[in-house]
Amino acid sequence: MITAEGLTKRFGDKTAVHDVSFTIRPGTVTGFLGPNGAGKSTTMRMIVGLDRPTSGRTTVNGQEYRRLRAPLTEVGVLLDAKAVHTGRTARSHLRAMAATHGIPSARVDEVIDLAGIGAVARKRAGKFSLGMGQRLGIASALLGDPHTLILDEPVNGLDPEGVRWVRQFVRFAASEGRTVLLSSHLMSEMAQTADHVIVMGRGRVLADAPLQDLVRSWTTTTVRVRSPRAADLAAAIAGADVEIVTTGPETIEISGLPAARIGDVAAAERIALHELTPTTGSLEDAYLALTGESVEYRSKEIS
Amino acid sequence: MTTTTAPRRATHVVSPYRLTFARLVRGEWIKLSTLRSTWWSIGITAVLTIGIAVIVAGSLSSLPGFEPIQAVVSPIQFTMLLAGILGVISVTGEYSTGMIRSTFAAQPSRGAVLAAKAVVVGAVMLASSLIIFFVAALAVTPFFADADVPFAWDDPSQSTLPIVTASVSMAAFALIGVAFGFLLRSGAGAIAATVGLLFVLPIIGNIFAGAGEGWEWIADVLNHLPMSAAQSVILPQDDWGLPVGEGWLTIAAWVAAGLAGAWAVLRTRDA
Repeated sequence: MITAEGLTKRFGDKTAVHDVSFTIRPGTVTGFLGPNGAGKSTTMRMIVGLDRPTSGRTTVNGQEYRRLRAPLTEVGVLLDAKAVHTGRTARSHLRAMAATHGIPSARVDEVIDLAGIGAVARKRAGKFSLGMGQRLGIASALLGDPHTLILDEPVNGLDPEGVRWVRQFVRFAASEGRTVLLSSHLMSEMAQTADHVIVMGRGRVLADAPLQDLVRSWTTTTVRVRSPRAADLAAAIAGADVEIVTTGPETIEISGLPAARIGDVAAAERIALHELTPTTGSLEDAYLALTGESVEYRSKEIS
Repeated sequence: MTTTTAPRRATHVVSPYRLTFARLVRGEWIKLSTLRSTWWSIGITAVLTIGIAVIVAGSLSSLPGFEPIQAVVSPIQFTMLLAGILGVISVTGEYSTGMIRSTFAAQPSRGAVLAAKAVVVGAVMLASSLIIFFVAALAVTPFFADADVPFAWDDPSQSTLPIVTASVSMAAFALIGVAFGFLLRSGAGAIAATVGLLFVLPIIGNIFAGAGEGWEWIADVLNHLPMSAAQSVILPQDDWGLPVGEGWLTIAAWVAAGLAGAWAVLRTRDA
């Protein structure tokens, strides 16, 4: 369990995180979403005591991180793959980290195997690819077999096999009852991994809800219909709350009416339907709708 | 905070692993000993110490009253920089690579990290200096055989005592480097500060100290710089430098002030 209460962080006159509160529960994978500069990383850094909040507090398992007596066994942290000395081998790095908690070297070898870096464990970390660095970071996070995992962009730079491994790993960790907080820019990846989503924008929490609820409330369900008499159908179902967009000579997209109702109307009017497909929005749609106003670095629309 | 009863995970077992200061020291030792730069620094220190000692011995061994121990400890004027730099890079290497975040994640109490690092860097510098100075003593001995001056192992004040004192001084210089490393975080800045304090300030001071009337206070300040204080305790002289007790106090004060300053900034600074 991770909590934040009124968490605020100012750097000079810029407020990176503004009055953020949330509770991240065990047994679920919580996704941390938001545009660049939204305050996700700063929030994660405050959770693990690297940055000091300007005000508010944050706890892990009911305690402030800096009060934990064996941090590595409570929280596994991956803040970025570059938190490793480039001149040291992966194995030496893990041995040094493990030594601080009296974790035996057998466990070091175990996490090396788990993260799949056995072949490069004796190479210096400076020679690692981004993906290998990421795996080493994940291996460090797992050293103390922690109850809580905080992973900032864990799949960044990983190959497809690595991405799938991280997804399965965090799902499994949550199923064991662990608390998992991870951030990612890959919306499709998040949609497959997270149960619950916290969306941040400009330092504030924009949404904090189960993934399905978030998608449902921030996207509209549309029904795609194909029919030789599409225009007739459109006329038959037209109403105040119904929005109809003609997308082709025989296809229309309808929002504001459930698919069943459209099918019934078509049957009553003896209009043949060739397709009737309800489509819900994606997490990406929900995310864009939510953060539309709070994107700090917006790219120019391509027309 | 209204509730702190976090539902523990189903598989929860009390972890047998605990963070202790002794383990933190062990972690710091692994970190220091698994970097090539550490062994390079110590290796160069060894080569310089023994090399300069031999050269000094070769050229001055016939000088009346010149004791072999003077040749052994004279290279410290140069090797102190290596000690300081080793201290600096043991810290700034962590900042430049981002390792410091892993370090503070494992031990969020930064004072403990500072203390453990100081213990390890100080101990490594002390131990390696003892060995290096001892080997240098053996290396210079043959040069004094011609002049029929034996190495005075039976007189601690001309043998073991200066070797121990010089080694402690090397450890102190390394700790000053550690302090500057934490204070400034950047390798270049911290090395410049360390070299400035240990090496450049004494030179600049010496220029003014010779300026005559009204500049005597400069000499007093100079005597309290780390290097002069170290020279005062390694081979005490009646007509130069600080009394031995004051010399030790001065060295201790530099180290203590440096580490206290480092701790003060570490406590509140974002990592």
